[in-house]
Amino acid sequence: MKLEGGYNVNLAGRPSDEVEVLPEQSILHLPLKSSRFSFTEVSVHEGDEVQPGHVLARDPHNHSIPLLAPRAGIVRLAAAKGHITLDDVLKVPEEPYYPGEDLPHAARDMGSSGMKRYKLLELGAWQSFYDVHTGEMPGPYSIPHAVIVSVVSLEPFLARGNVQLAKRLRSFTRGLEHLQSLLEYQPIYLVLPDIASVFASQVRDILRGYAWVRLVEIPSKYPFDNFRILARSLHLRPEKGQPIWGVRTEGILAIDRASTLSLPCTARIVSVGGPAVRHPVHVKAFPGYPIKEIADRYVASQPFRMINGGALTGQVLQPTQLGLDAECSGLTILPEEEERHLLAFTRPRWRERSYSRCFLGFLGRDFPQQMNTGLRGEPRPCVACGYCEEICPAQIMPQMIHRQLYQGAIEEAERLRVDLCVGCALCSLVCPSKIELRSELLDAQRRILTELRPQEAQA
Amino acid sequence: MKLIRHLLDKVRPNFETERKLHLLRPLFHAIDNFLLSPATATAAAPFIRDPLDVKRFMSAVILALMPSVLASLYFFGLRVIAMIAVSYAVGGTIEVLIAIARKEEINEGFLVTGLIFPLVLPPSLPMWMVAVGIAFGVIVGKELFGGTGRNLFNPALVGRCFLAIGYPVAMSSQWIKPGAGLVGRLTQYVTSSNVDAVSKATPLVSAKQGTYAPVIHLLLGNVSGSVGETSALAVLAGGIFLLAAKVANWRAVAGTVGTFLVLGVILHQLHPGRFGPVGWHLLAGGLLFGAFFMATDPITSPLTNSGKWLYGGLIGTATLLIRNLTGYVEGIMFAILLGNIVAPLLDEAAVRFRLGRLRGER
Repeated sequence: MKLEGGYNVNLAGRPSDEVEVLPEQSILHLPLKSSRFSFTEVSVHEGDEVQPGHVLARDPHNHSIPLLAPRAGIVRLAAAKGHITLDDVLKVPEEPYYPGEDLPHAARDMGSSGMKRYKLLELGAWQSFYDVHTGEMPGPYSIPHAVIVSVVSLEPFLARGNVQLAKRLRSFTRGLEHLQSLLEYQPIYLVLPDIASVFASQVRDILRGYAWVRLVEIPSKYPFDNFRILARSLHLRPEKGQPIWGVRTEGILAIDRASTLSLPCTARIVSVGGPAVRHPVHVKAFPGYPIKEIADRYVASQPFRMINGGALTGQVLQPTQLGLDAECSGLTILPEEEERHLLAFTRPRWRERSYSRCFLGFLGRDFPQQMNTGLRGEPRPCVACGYCEEICPAQIMPQMIHRQLYQGAIEEAERLRVDLCVGCALCSLVCPSKIELRSELLDAQRRILTELRPQEAQA
Repeated sequence: MKLIRHLLDKVRPNFETERKLHLLRPLFHAIDNFLLSPATATAAAPFIRDPLDVKRFMSAVILALMPSVLASLYFFGLRVIAMIAVSYAVGGTIEVLIAIARKEEINEGFLVTGLIFPLVLPPSLPMWMVAVGIAFGVIVGKELFGGTGRNLFNPALVGRCFLAIGYPVAMSSQWIKPGAGLVGRLTQYVTSSNVDAVSKATPLVSAKQGTYAPVIHLLLGNVSGSVGETSALAVLAGGIFLLAAKVANWRAVAGTVGTFLVLGVILHQLHPGRFGPVGWHLLAGGLLFGAFFMATDPITSPLTNSGKWLYGGLIGTATLLIRNLTGYVEGIMFAILLGNIVAPLLDEAAVRFRLGRLRGER
């Protein structure tokens, strides 16, 4: 498949390349849920003293992936609902902590690769692996068909690869070597931006020497960094039950940390960006870091909405979530829409850009736009403008699927390959009729799996 | 602005459920959201949205029609304003009543239909026919199919087709001679009772008898014909604006005009006696108006982009054949209605083609 469609929104508040280290907090609230995991098996007790890397809880449905304590502290289970709270973080002295060596059978059967994989799982590096086609975490002892490693991150705003790699190219290449040692000759595709930046040429120069890594350069256009789109453009399909793995920059760095240094991987680089942010940056923080502290520090305008993830595919950060979760790689903060404008549709609007060219902003050069959470219009029937079909990177036809779903014909939606939708949200973004195409398509995917094909879903 | 907001907020409670005026709620909503942009917030991802909405989309079409409206005022006089007013008043009333009965939002699409309809009628048409035509177009062409977004046929063309069949004399042999000079007919109100101003033929009618109007007249528009279609330059100005703003889908326009030109050149070479010069035919009659403003009607054209190419091709071909091979002098209306009928089939063809390309992808 050729890469087609895609679109970049120039949203104001792009995080700078600087990484701020957030001041230590004496209380951390670790949420038991993140986008893929829910750590329901709590393995600590009230009042326990834990060290960094100590397993606090596990997710029984995801290969018992652990939630690790990022800092030394005292466990409080009842302090906040849905969280494990670490108290007295600054007071408890930190000591080196090593997880136990009781290898599961699956790991032992795989020999040295199995032991390495077990280490990655227990030290928190495995959670940055993705099964490209399901989006879930692949089994730690599964054998991939191929691995896609991407240092590109194009959604506004998620932590960018170049920021995370700036001073750590050496650990990145070491991480790639460790990754290769887990495999048996399966190819590793390394995805880079095709730009002439110093960073990109550095990475290219270093990795040209790695014969087992195949370099893939992609245009910097959202969402070409999506693993599934990449897999399709590389003609990779899961074969004989072997999935395609996807790993991002942070994952490779975590592999290096866990494999070379045997240290737990808990610290995260998180971008804090969006039009409502005072000075948008990347921050280094631990899971559980209080959201309120971040809001007080960075939010410039009231009222605002904080999104866990990017502006296009993230989720609203609920007020019940008190700390950063274990998978967060970006917080996008948008001003909440409130104002109404007189006869807005008749104004020339020099300060706005649209996918169409109906606003005079397109006459000048591209500029960052102050966007808010407004729907910016009323829901209407489809006007068949064809924008969604043009922009769709999965090359399906959202407007046709919408029409079938509107008539309740879920089988027709299946025939129209709704399963190829990657949820990039570009169709909903550009729709002048404000149809919630992304939600409809993803919902149809879920319904096909649960209602039409329940047996396959179980298998 | 504050005053308007204050006023709207003050009367708003009257339209809530169980209050006296709740039946008129669609009307209130339409006025409210017309005057002040709605402040709805996104509920699901993506949390940012493109600023384009249907109001802006439709305003762009109306803006693009303005050159044609102004040209028609110059050539055919003030009666044009009255025709537009009747079309809006009758069609708009029906639209509002049906929206209230259905408890649905009032849709902006009508603002375009109500303006396009008088522009495709002869400038001398009696007012009551304008009213009957738009009423038929809106009720039968649109509302019977379920309202805006669900109609199979372009409502303005359904209305026009109804009039053309029901009142053939008024629709095809009473035209107004275009005005000239500095003010044209800008100060006149010309009806068909004004014998001096009435013309029997449009350039397409004369062409059947072998007399071709000069191309410059077709470009400027000082020829007889339907209200908005005579000036090719005005239509082109609006049409190119629509394409530049990406409001009209360029594929349908390119398909129509491209096929008309290519096929026209070939057929003219093969049989110059039967097929007129294609450049002249492109500028004459309603082809350009139809290609830019009616073949691009979002709802009645195919939804898919490759379907729009086929649709344009069909309209271009059908127009050319009807004009040159049949007793009708103008073919664009039937060509577009024909295109409307097959639009779902063209979509299915486009879908199958795409699915073939996607086969095996995961």
